[in-house]
Amino acid sequence: MSEPTPATVPAPADTKLSNKELKELKKKEKAAKRAAAKVGSSGSESASTRQKESRDSNGKPPTATHIKKQLNSAKIIESDRKVPTMFGHLETREQRISSSPQIASIVHPKILALTLKISTYKIVGSTARCQAMLEAFKDVISSYQTPDNASLQRNLTSHLSHQIEYLKTGRPLSISMGNAIRWLKQRISIIPIDLSDEVAKKQVIEEIDLYIQEKILYSDKVITQFASTHIQDGSKLLTYGHSEVLKKLFKYCAVEENKSFEIYIIDSKPLFEGKKLARELSAVPNIKCHYNLINSLSTILERSDIDFCFLGAHSMLSNGRLYSRVGTAMIAMASKNKNIPVLVCCESMKFSDKVQLDSVTLNELGDSEDVINTKPFVKTGSNLNQFLISLQSKEPKKPQQQGTKKDKKELQLADNESPVLNNWKELKPLNILNVLYDLTPPEYIQKVITELGALPPSSVPVILREYKTNA
Amino acid sequence: MSSTQKYEVLVDSFISKLKRRQITGSYNVATATCRLLMRVISSSRWSSTEEFINLIRGVGCKLIDAQPREFATGNIVRRVLAIIRDEVSEDSVTQSANNAPYNTSMFQLLSTTHTTKPQGTQATKQPNQDLRSVVIQGIRELIDEIASVHENIELMTVDLIHENEVLLTPTPGSQTVLNFLLKASLKRKFTVLITESYPNDINECHSFAKKLAEMNIETVIIPDSTVFAVMSRVGKVLIGARSVFANGGCVTAAGVATVCECAKEHRTPVFAVAGLYKFSPTYPFDRDSLIEVGNSGKVLPYEDSDLVGKCEVTNPLFDYVVPEHIDIYITNIGGFSPNFIYRIVLDNYKAEDVQLG
Repeated sequence: MSEPTPATVPAPADTKLSNKELKELKKKEKAAKRAAAKVGSSGSESASTRQKESRDSNGKPPTATHIKKQLNSAKIIESDRKVPTMFGHLETREQRISSSPQIASIVHPKILALTLKISTYKIVGSTARCQAMLEAFKDVISSYQTPDNASLQRNLTSHLSHQIEYLKTGRPLSISMGNAIRWLKQRISIIPIDLSDEVAKKQVIEEIDLYIQEKILYSDKVITQFASTHIQDGSKLLTYGHSEVLKKLFKYCAVEENKSFEIYIIDSKPLFEGKKLARELSAVPNIKCHYNLINSLSTILERSDIDFCFLGAHSMLSNGRLYSRVGTAMIAMASKNKNIPVLVCCESMKFSDKVQLDSVTLNELGDSEDVINTKPFVKTGSNLNQFLISLQSKEPKKPQQQGTKKDKKELQLADNESPVLNNWKELKPLNILNVLYDLTPPEYIQKVITELGALPPSSVPVILREYKTNA
Repeated sequence: MSSTQKYEVLVDSFISKLKRRQITGSYNVATATCRLLMRVISSSRWSSTEEFINLIRGVGCKLIDAQPREFATGNIVRRVLAIIRDEVSEDSVTQSANNAPYNTSMFQLLSTTHTTKPQGTQATKQPNQDLRSVVIQGIRELIDEIASVHENIELMTVDLIHENEVLLTPTPGSQTVLNFLLKASLKRKFTVLITESYPNDINECHSFAKKLAEMNIETVIIPDSTVFAVMSRVGKVLIGARSVFANGGCVTAAGVATVCECAKEHRTPVFAVAGLYKFSPTYPFDRDSLIEVGNSGKVLPYEDSDLVGKCEVTNPLFDYVVPEHIDIYITNIGGFSPNFIYRIVLDNYKAEDVQLG
């Protein structure tokens, strides 16, 4: 399956990233060619010049079910999946789609690239993911052509569905992505039937731009202004992990409003998102940064007089619970018990009409290896991983040079630092749990700051109800 | 004169071992302190019991100053002092039965320490050799007691764990917890969730998990942040204490205080296991003085060089857990509620020795 040219992917680990990108680029080019060929073969005659060159075995246009079958057949389900029994119902990311030519003909290269970035946590956080997805959809739509005997209103939505289907294999969709997709499909479906394709596509792209502007950029600005009243000169703030809107808030207060304050960033394994926030904020002269791991939470709350605890959100559920990065609930609970007000900043596009009572029933499972890994967090894409494994299995047969052998020895030495659980998969009773989110009860949350105003968590369903119609 | 120097050499070498952390873990420290005191007692000379007691107190002060956050040394010294005082008072009781009313505990609680002072001088001319051998015998028994702590704690496993229970332990560094679980697995089937305790105890966590899994116990490693998410499914939380104070609070690994707080929020019972040698007669008035701070390079490694120096980083090694967050202490002499700990402490230490300095 992994047919990319072996020359581009040599073994050394330090050049991994650039190689991956190279590979990705090649894949994109190939995929773009194929996609063009495919569209040509199935669609309008004007674009069918390259039709004969494509070695497509089946001449008939791909139906929706046919495409789905192709997607399913390319799925790789890893058999050595190990999840604690309690969490056996949760879907894992280990169900991946390999990069086969068939897939490349269906899925837009932008989506392929985005999926890779999302699955390796290069793009992380529900706002960033949603924005990146919408940007990718703009490209998908602009390069889309309606096949004959189909209308844009119907065919484009199904075309997008395939893209989304692929996108899901990177990581499950976030609530904000789900909301955006629902909105987009609704907008596409109400395009007047007499509009020409070009005009309709332009209209949809403009609407997406507007959505990003309105729901993400301007919302964040409004939230920032609302929340900035809580931050005074000399305030001490507590925050957890990384949140796009909180980053904007802290920067706004320090730079625009010229307030100087202290911020305690709590972080946790395995994603270490707090480092990202610390990197951004430590560069701002007015902010004094503290960086701590979650195990020193009690010490921090005991020693430093924290004024406010600011938390980001993945989603606000309609029963008032906050669904956010795992660990948030602990921070909120500990802050609440110390009588520190807990404020949540959340755009209204993250509101969900779901109800959920505990973190176990619905959650996202991360990769167990990330937990075992004690070295700095680096994630490789699944295709690259497969390729490396296939490379490793081939390697012993070839005669090796001296230099590479030395390298290997060094690598092994580095690995020996934590040999305790290198082969944890062989220990049958041992499991590793890596859930990505948890649920914070509404009692811990003082108020939720949205672009529509600040409200108690119990008012989330009100917002959902009032703004559903004009969303 | 030469003999005092002899034991001082012993004490000094022990102190440097403590300071260099060549002896760590309360179990090891406790046994090592016992051995040291045995040698000190056998090699030292004194003319009166009071001098003897002061000598031991002096040694105790030095040891505590060497490693003020290792409470096992102080506890052992106080235990030995209690043994000595018991011997002395027993002898003096046989001489004159004048201090009989002291033995009723209620009054002892309220009495101030200096009323008992004259007692020591009365017993000055005791045969030293006898006292020496009796005290050494007492320390031997103490060593035996420490060595058998795990066995005695394990006896209670069956009473505390039911079939198919889910346990959570946030202290994978604790040998006592490991032995407790291994013993329990012989009688019951259960699942153990272990927090990673990143960054300080991550390797301990892995070897802990491996040992449990090899004994065929269902084991799940969870990141520290996941505790709240899984707490609703946990039946009991099991923590290992580093030292327990008279008010029922205890010092353990960093992060455990938040775990216990989570457990309280979910009404999950919290068990603390600790040997008697971890019980300290002092009160934790100053939280900061109990908590040691470790290498911040573990929190922010040099790979993140762009952050190093720009952010303030602390890495506390311990946490103080308040007594309200603990339901039961399991010790080698039985299970106790945290608000009964002061009584256990009173049984094993003398009020005069609480402040050694």
